[in-house]
Amino acid sequence: MFRLLSVLVLTLLGTGPLSAQMHNGQKLVEATLVADTTAMVPGKPFRVGLHLQMAPGWHTYWENPGDSGLETTLRLQLPEGFTSGPLVWPLPQRLIEPGDIQVYAYKGETLLTVTIMPPADATGPVEIKARATWLVCEAICIPGSADLTLTLPAEASGAPANTDLFAKFDALLPSSEPPPFETLWTPTPTGWNLGLRGITDARTADFFPYAGETASPGHTAPREVANGNADISIPIDGSPPVRGVVVLENGSRHGWIIESGTGTPAESSAFTPAPPPSDLTKPAASLWSILVFAFIGGFILNLMPCVLPVISLKIFGFMRQAGDSRANILKHGLAFIAGIFVWFLGLAAVIVALKAAGSEVTWAFQFQNPWFNFVIGAVVFVFALNLFGVFEITLPGRAAVSIASAAGHSGVSGSFAHGILATLLATPCTAPFLGAALGFAFTRSPTVIFAVFFAIAAGMGFPYLVLSAQPGWMKHLPKPGPWMERLKQFMGFPLFATLLWLLYVIGQQRGTEAVIWAAATYLCLGFGAWLYGAFLGPVSSPRAKWLASAGIAAALALAIGYFAGNLFAGAAASVPSAKTAANTDGIPWVPFSDAELQKLLAEGRPVFLDFTADWCITCKFNERTAIDTRAVREAFAKLGIVPMKADWTNSNPEITRKLAQFDRVGVPFYLFYAPGRADDPVILPELLTEQIVLRSIGAGKP
Amino acid sequence: MKNLAALTLSLAAGITLAFAEPQVGQPAPAFTLTDSDGNPHNLSDFQGKVVVLEWLNHGCPFVVKHYESGNMQKLQKDYTGKGVVWLSVVSSAPGKQGHMSPEDTNKTKTEKGSAATAILIDEDGTVGKLYNAQVTPEMFIINSDGVLVYAGAIDDRKSTDTADIAGAKNYVAQALDEVLAGKPVSEATSKAYGCSVKY
Repeated sequence: MFRLLSVLVLTLLGTGPLSAQMHNGQKLVEATLVADTTAMVPGKPFRVGLHLQMAPGWHTYWENPGDSGLETTLRLQLPEGFTSGPLVWPLPQRLIEPGDIQVYAYKGETLLTVTIMPPADATGPVEIKARATWLVCEAICIPGSADLTLTLPAEASGAPANTDLFAKFDALLPSSEPPPFETLWTPTPTGWNLGLRGITDARTADFFPYAGETASPGHTAPREVANGNADISIPIDGSPPVRGVVVLENGSRHGWIIESGTGTPAESSAFTPAPPPSDLTKPAASLWSILVFAFIGGFILNLMPCVLPVISLKIFGFMRQAGDSRANILKHGLAFIAGIFVWFLGLAAVIVALKAAGSEVTWAFQFQNPWFNFVIGAVVFVFALNLFGVFEITLPGRAAVSIASAAGHSGVSGSFAHGILATLLATPCTAPFLGAALGFAFTRSPTVIFAVFFAIAAGMGFPYLVLSAQPGWMKHLPKPGPWMERLKQFMGFPLFATLLWLLYVIGQQRGTEAVIWAAATYLCLGFGAWLYGAFLGPVSSPRAKWLASAGIAAALALAIGYFAGNLFAGAAASVPSAKTAANTDGIPWVPFSDAELQKLLAEGRPVFLDFTADWCITCKFNERTAIDTRAVREAFAKLGIVPMKADWTNSNPEITRKLAQFDRVGVPFYLFYAPGRADDPVILPELLTEQIVLRSIGAGKP
Repeated sequence: MKNLAALTLSLAAGITLAFAEPQVGQPAPAFTLTDSDGNPHNLSDFQGKVVVLEWLNHGCPFVVKHYESGNMQKLQKDYTGKGVVWLSVVSSAPGKQGHMSPEDTNKTKTEKGSAATAILIDEDGTVGKLYNAQVTPEMFIINSDGVLVYAGAIDDRKSTDTADIAGAKNYVAQALDEVLAGKPVSEATSKAYGCSVKY
């Protein structure tokens, strides 16, 4: 099947033999034993190295091979009295194979070294024998081995040998010294969060775990360093102690061996230099500022276009309540705020659960699910019909909660439901402040996620609390009257506009057919609602009631069973393609892929990268008003800027990863890679003007 | 509105489940695959029997180790003789190492003297990914109640050297003996070693 040839060759330096592993006429691995000295000096330690040179595309493994593969071994046979230290491994690379199989390996060449201590009375020449075994893999794996011998004369002093080779790999040896940054180990439900703080001069941070005695950590991934900080999650059941190499990269790579504590919260590593109790001070301080941002962001959510319809409804509700007693108004306000809190904390719970399950979760992820849009569309539609007066709900025991009563009645439960609806519609709008808070939250522990969402909810609910507690401040509002019925009907139109937007998103996700089936479902729901309103009132005859109930049941069955369950479910998901991206506007967008981006940057092309989604109104607004304008189009063409669009309408892990590199979990997000600054793109604000875009790409007037 | 929130939550819970890996002690994920003779097999067909899943790629040196030595065939023979169902699964994608036509699969099965109940062809890797099989050989044992009771390596000697088989502790034999004796599996997981599955 495969043949192994061992060939002895004398090298120029006389350092030792060489063995080549052949496969189908191709030399896969060349193994050589080399020493860092020309001579053995009795009593003085020296090093020998196993130098492996792999054919292009092939790799051998690190001491922890990862999901598959096998570590290289080196067994030494030393003359009597000689002792040797452990095998020392340079930093590996992370390779990912199809099926998300992650291995830690060396491509090109590697040098695994051992320190040898000769006894004081050693005499020469010294013969060091070694048996090396390895597994070399490309798409397939082939084991290899070699018996190598190295002979060194014994002399009073030796000159350094193979200095370039040893120097090259010594630079890649992980240090056992304390790292020049702080390491913060926090157990999480899925393993550990390794917080690195105070990193200077590094772009990415990475962690390569050693294999554990009982359980080994799962996949880690490199993270961007932002403001000197990086957080790496290390999945391992039950958070047992973990050792590994943390690697910082900034052109060159440097590694430090670190290990976790035993599992007490936020424990600083034993290797941390003179650790101040910073787990309490510094991160806490930054947590507070993030919570303040989250609060402000939540407040700003009230002003977002996607929540406006509900907000206006709510203001109208306050107006109606203005005639009520103060206690009553406060009760309504609190119920509304409770709705906001329930939604955000529910969302936090879902995110924590999904994070625990290891999937990629991002802000507004729910709008990537067409079913979510479909269901929200149905709610908005029925809600609007209610406002138009198609049906009213008069349930016995006025406290009953339902979607319709939420719309038609301003009972306490209605206020509560309004709170939920308002926040539901607000989620896709990441206001600028919120972006930062969320980026922070998604990399943190569940407690922090809950705290941040709590702060957002508090921010959003704050104005209602103030107005409910001080209804006097609403005194200048007009007095209730018959005009309010008209206003109520009018409010149905913004809801219909919202519905149009949802249908547009569904269309982008699933195609025109899905829009038709969604609309057909809504039509049936509308018919059911009309039957309910017309024939199920308190004055209808029992016979009419029975018939209407049957009709409603039939309409619901048709809506849910046929149009939604069968036809809508069957409509194919559409994947954003270059064609659809290009058709939406006049800019010749190139669809995003990281490979394409790296290629363009390697060619030295400037790239404008637009992270967008059809359900993101802010994104669309920016595109229409600040990006797809004549001036920007001309500037792109004149400066040779490649416009690249990352369309996140449907879930796309590659885009999610790219966003995460910049600590973002939502869109809009804009990057400009200036020529020659491929590593340091300009981050544009989330709310754009044409001037900002032109200035950022170097085309604007100062 | 409350219902809506509940619906969203349960949707999210569904997503969570879809991402979960098979857990030892939990019901083994159901699947249907066609074997090299063209017969479909559903995991539920074997309810009441102990089932072994063996991820197979005859090009992988770690698999070669256990077949050249006769170690794997002996295990297959011993335990199918005791009523265990032994399913070898090939998840190699077409064109990748280990992928074979049904005819070649049968030919190799005879040549190697495999005593597996069936060799299942999973060329799109669905079942491999369902079980999160990462290497060949990776072994799973499902008890007669359909519960996954072992996942991991075949033995504790991570190597491609047949000489290592003699002194190795065979986790699969140990677990099967315990399952057949109605005892709990003492070592229910281990880190599988081998070549990556060629998805």
